[in-house]
Amino acid sequence: MLRFILPLLLAVIGLILFGQGAYIHAKALVAQVLLERAFEKTVATGRETKPWSWADTWPIARIEVKRIHASTIVLAGSSGQALAFGPGHVERTPDAGERGVAVYSAHRDTHFAFLKNVVIGDEINVMRSDGKQFHYRVDATSVVRFDGSGIEPLADGHQLVLSTCWPFDALTQGPERYLVHATMLGEAAGSR
Amino acid sequence: MTTCDEIEADKRSEQPGLVRLVLFFVMQGVAVILVGFAALFLSFEPVWSAERLSAAFLKPGDARSGSLLLKNEEGYADATRLGIDVDLTVSGPTVRARVTQIFRNPTQDWVEAVYVYPLPAGGAVDTLKMVIGDRVVVGDIKERQQAKIIYEQAKQKGQKAALTEQERPNIFTNSVANIGPGETVLVQIEYQEPVQQSGNEFSLRVPMVVAPRYNPVPVVQSVDFRPDGGGWGSAKSDPVPDHDRISPEVLDPATNAPLNPTRITVRLQAGFPLGEVKSHHHAIKTEKPDASTSIIRLAEGPVPADRDFELTWKPAAEKAPSVGLFREHVGDSDYLLAFFTPPSVEQAQQKPLPREVIFVIDNSGSMGGVSIIQAKASLIYALGRLQPNDRFNVIRFDHTMDVLFPAAVPADREHIGRATSFVDALQANGGTEMVPAMRAALSDNAGDTNYVRQVVFLTDGAIGNEQQLFETINALRGRSRIFMVGIGSAPNTYLMTRAAELGRGTFTHIGSVEQVEERMRGLFAKLENPAVTNLTAKFSDATADITPVAIPDVYRDEPLVLAAKLDKLAGSVEIKGRIGDRPWIVTLPLANAAEGKGLSKLWARRKIADAEVARTTRQASPEDADKTILALALEHQLVTRLTSLVAVDRTPSRPEGEPLKVSELPINLPAGWDFEKVFGERPRIPATPTERRADTEQARVQVAALKRVQPVVTQAPNTVTLPKTATDAELKMIAGVILLTLSLILFVFNRRQMSPR
Repeated sequence: MLRFILPLLLAVIGLILFGQGAYIHAKALVAQVLLERAFEKTVATGRETKPWSWADTWPIARIEVKRIHASTIVLAGSSGQALAFGPGHVERTPDAGERGVAVYSAHRDTHFAFLKNVVIGDEINVMRSDGKQFHYRVDATSVVRFDGSGIEPLADGHQLVLSTCWPFDALTQGPERYLVHATMLGEAAGSR
Repeated sequence: MTTCDEIEADKRSEQPGLVRLVLFFVMQGVAVILVGFAALFLSFEPVWSAERLSAAFLKPGDARSGSLLLKNEEGYADATRLGIDVDLTVSGPTVRARVTQIFRNPTQDWVEAVYVYPLPAGGAVDTLKMVIGDRVVVGDIKERQQAKIIYEQAKQKGQKAALTEQERPNIFTNSVANIGPGETVLVQIEYQEPVQQSGNEFSLRVPMVVAPRYNPVPVVQSVDFRPDGGGWGSAKSDPVPDHDRISPEVLDPATNAPLNPTRITVRLQAGFPLGEVKSHHHAIKTEKPDASTSIIRLAEGPVPADRDFELTWKPAAEKAPSVGLFREHVGDSDYLLAFFTPPSVEQAQQKPLPREVIFVIDNSGSMGGVSIIQAKASLIYALGRLQPNDRFNVIRFDHTMDVLFPAAVPADREHIGRATSFVDALQANGGTEMVPAMRAALSDNAGDTNYVRQVVFLTDGAIGNEQQLFETINALRGRSRIFMVGIGSAPNTYLMTRAAELGRGTFTHIGSVEQVEERMRGLFAKLENPAVTNLTAKFSDATADITPVAIPDVYRDEPLVLAAKLDKLAGSVEIKGRIGDRPWIVTLPLANAAEGKGLSKLWARRKIADAEVARTTRQASPEDADKTILALALEHQLVTRLTSLVAVDRTPSRPEGEPLKVSELPINLPAGWDFEKVFGERPRIPATPTERRADTEQARVQVAALKRVQPVVTQAPNTVTLPKTATDAELKMIAGVILLTLSLILFVFNRRQMSPR
């Protein structure tokens, strides 16, 4: 019987690890469904709606890239907890549609995995929780260090930066970030 | 039958094994769900690679960027930013300088940056490089018009391009087209310059800012001048037709943070063991890898570009070497650079001739602040040095002019006293009409040949009509000799050196009040001692093209500097002259010359200066002079009045239809200047004491960026710190699968071992 213990132990550890990994993805997926619902409600009622009762964050915007059918709900704050459920709006940067550079950040392997398919010229739509929609066009991508982004949040113009870890297919965490820079085209009429 | 039984028995025995396996997998599934649930309620922070925005709020660096932001809101957010890195290598008699300008565009528009900057008047600019990302584009020398066309075409096409033009021999303009939003472009220029020597002391100077120039009527500039001067002449007679090219915006230091942070590194290989190495206007740190080498850096990191950097060094030995001979072989010619300091011979018994000294002091608005204090102190010192049998006069000028005495008067106690109180009462104000003052100083009515006539001219040279002044000197100098004294933190050295050369005198620079006495003493040594005159140089074997063509007189403690192009390096050179009334002769064998660097460029630069002088003095027709200059410039790849360097990146970067904005980079007011005196009253704002330090953080980052060129180099003082955005989900899943596979293999292996039983 003893010879069964080792494979069993390995199996259990393997399962736990796999479970944890899968759980991150599952949580990211499930959370987005809940967030989508909460966001709809926020837009409809105009009140901040928490996606689940014990959540410490709430949806503030929806980012959409129509060409590659990517859509994700952004949360307030970019703490680790928030980033597990959805992209976060980086503190101290303006909201989308405001003057300056709005920065959203998310994990490269979940919500912002689609960034590697975003090319210059793509249109990014951002819908805020107050129902206003803004269109941006991607005009540059860059790779920077996390502490040397070069982003001045109060720069002139209306800009959007989506940030995630770089390189996309790395397994470990690194200091480099991939940035997608976009400039606002204007406010869309079709706001809800 | 038995066989059948056996099979049955086998099946029966297999059944529980299969069940066990299925059960195992069910258990595994349950475990996954359990673990998942557990995770939902446990804190898994580390698993999410969560890192709170690092405590960036607390860093002192951030506090500074906050205050910078405030400066931005005071109306300075739009501007293209600039960082400067100056790297100088002194090897023996020459300085090789690499100036890197880092243009950063923080705006959302495509920008063309235009930066007006000074260089030493004797500097030969020969290299332009533009670095965009990891590409380096090297510039070509072209005729000025042609270069401009190439640049404009590239600009239209959306290509990145850089253009280096000479506005004055010491003022250059760099234009960089199509800097994209958030982009950084590095522009690097290199120049060659001879080391200056005076007595025991060697020096180099890096000018850092173009002082605001007074441009005489009819140009209506921000400089104030008498309104009654308006209406003079038409645009054709504009004494400074290119005034808009040399007058960048100047920021009021009281309301703006200093800008254009500059770093300086000097690698000093003097060629002899070094004694004292001193920076006169900046704190420095010195490293000494060996006795004759020093590496000098700014002690406090980058400084705002608002004053000249001046470095002097002395040999460890008591006496500086009085002879220096250097050679370089380029193409099929040899170039020679010779320094020779004539011995200081005391006048034999004979009393020196008495002197008639005319002092001219500039008290225009640009001299406001510290400059006028230095100028007054210098002049009062000079008055005290006059001998009773000398004669003197004092002229002061701004846009008006006063001559103290109707004619030169004896330097007795009474006259000196009157002059001293006159000088003491001077205030800096108004415009700078230098030409009438020079004319007055050169008007030599007495014509008494028993006196040596000397004009000591104290000014910062902040005028745009240098050419008019040169023409005046050339036409009227007569027997007078002109000694220019440059005052302030950023004097116009081109005007000073050229005026002194045309006036057969010398140029002395006084950059701070502390230097007044030492430098004025040096000047008086030159005024009081006989110069070495009638100098000629003759090569015994080689055919030589010598510059300067007419060797100027050499004053006490100054070296004679000769550059020559030779067909062969053989024989010797014989220099002849007269010290006072004695003949003087020296022979230097060429075989002893040491290898030097960039001498051909110095020779060419010096030849070009000769041609410019010949043009001023009408010894050559403008067309001939221009032809000579152009040929020399194209052969030796130098930027001149007629040639520019242009670099074009062939890959277009600006998308069609995107507009391009011109951003003329503002400059600092030179240190010690008074903004109101130059530009008139400003709206009263309670002046907050600002630390005179340029945005150092930014400069450091930018210079770092310069060294490690990356795909996109974007740095800013107040940037966003991006959160961590990688999970270890994949890593864990892969590890999990590996472990599961391993366990399965072991499992199967175990079963195999059991089954034979």
